[in-house]
Amino acid sequence: MHKGVIENLINELTRLPGIGRKTAQRLAFFIMAMPKEEAISIAEAIRELKERARFCRECFSITEDDLCSICSDPKRDHTRICVVEEPSNLIVIERTGIYRGLYHVLLGALSPVDGITPESLKIRELIERVKRGNISEVIIATNPNTKGEATAQYISEQLKPMGVRITRIAYGLPIGGDIEFADEVTLTKALEGRREL
Amino acid sequence: MLTRTEGIVLKNQKHGEADLIVTYLTPDRGIIKAFAKSPHKIKSRFGSSLEPLTHSRISLFGKEQSIPKITQSDIINTFYRLRESYDDLINISRLIRVMLSIIPEDTPNKRLFNFFLGILNLMDSSTGDQRHILYLIALIRLLAMTGYAPRLNKCGRCGKKGINFYPGAGTILCDGCAGGQEIKGPPVRVNGDIINFYSHSIEWPVQKLTRLRPRKELLSTLSSIMERHLSQNLGIRP
Ligand SMILES: [Zn+2]
Ligand SMILES: [Zn+2]
Repeated sequence: MHKGVIENLINELTRLPGIGRKTAQRLAFFIMAMPKEEAISIAEAIRELKERARFCRECFSITEDDLCSICSDPKRDHTRICVVEEPSNLIVIERTGIYRGLYHVLLGALSPVDGITPESLKIRELIERVKRGNISEVIIATNPNTKGEATAQYISEQLKPMGVRITRIAYGLPIGGDIEFADEVTLTKALEGRREL
Repeated sequence: MLTRTEGIVLKNQKHGEADLIVTYLTPDRGIIKAFAKSPHKIKSRFGSSLEPLTHSRISLFGKEQSIPKITQSDIINTFYRLRESYDDLINISRLIRVMLSIIPEDTPNKRLFNFFLGILNLMDSSTGDQRHILYLIALIRLLAMTGYAPRLNKCGRCGKKGINFYPGAGTILCDGCAGGQEIKGPPVRVNGDIINFYSHSIEWPVQKLTRLRPRKELLSTLSSIMERHLSQNLGIRP
């Protein structure tokens, strides 16, 4: 057996998130033992993804076409945009089935300490979309952490002068949780965001 | 080995799918990295305690030379109002960036820890304008503590008096020393008020710093001196 090829695959696999050297080794030997067609079909799926998948020109979610299936769906509410950090966030919100508007994926969040500025994200493109008009509400669904919060604040500052309604998804206690175990910031936010019953 | 200490979160970054690498400023080990397993899982007991600026009591577990694991983190102060104000977050992030680029990891520095904690406490109890002044003071003081501050009191070459600060040289130069030298960029004129504010920023005890109330003009001149010093001499861009 040529030692170079297996070593090569192990090295490639360690590029993936959460895959250390040991796991990569295990996967490489597993692939080695697989029927040839199955292994090739994994490789083909990766190739196909990279050759065909791209960012939607409107919302920057992942699609095989110029416009994604949500942006091109006439049954969706085209006056609402939900802003998320990553394409994976969009998938989770879609799974709830309660949101029928459009999305805008920023492809990251502001992080001044790492030099990630508004220019590194798809914020200008969002502003352009709102400028083109016909948008009644922008829902900011960035993560409830420092980076996501800074991003939400920056975006709302930029959009406010345009007169569009800007909302932020609610903060609160996790369902199935217990107040006793909530930290003080979460609890403060949950109190601030309380509503009438 | 289990160590217990306190720390202020300087930054955090995702590691792999769900883990987080947290950079802390601690009194006994200086700047250190530690990792947390799946802190974002709803059931995680870390809550918001790994967010930037949080001051907490932490327990770390791990062998020397490898990144330790955070096993416990109890909040002392969240400072969440500071990180939730965009302008303050930008300013404090700038301070942290400077810290991370000039201070080596794993070098004990109790003074630095006390200084940074003091500044956060002071900012947390101040108004917006005051917080902006405190940021500038903190930046000056941080550079002075680490030996990277620009020299504003006298000519950096011969020690004579002078009024022109050359950002490219990181110091005031008297006319004699400035002449006939290749110095990038025009000088900034420095007056007595600026020099006084500058030395008070460095020398006064932290608790007294809110008494410094510079005029807007002074603030903007000094800000631009500091920014030019950071980018030209220390390579830290805005
Ligand atoms: Zn789309
Ligand atoms: Zn001189």
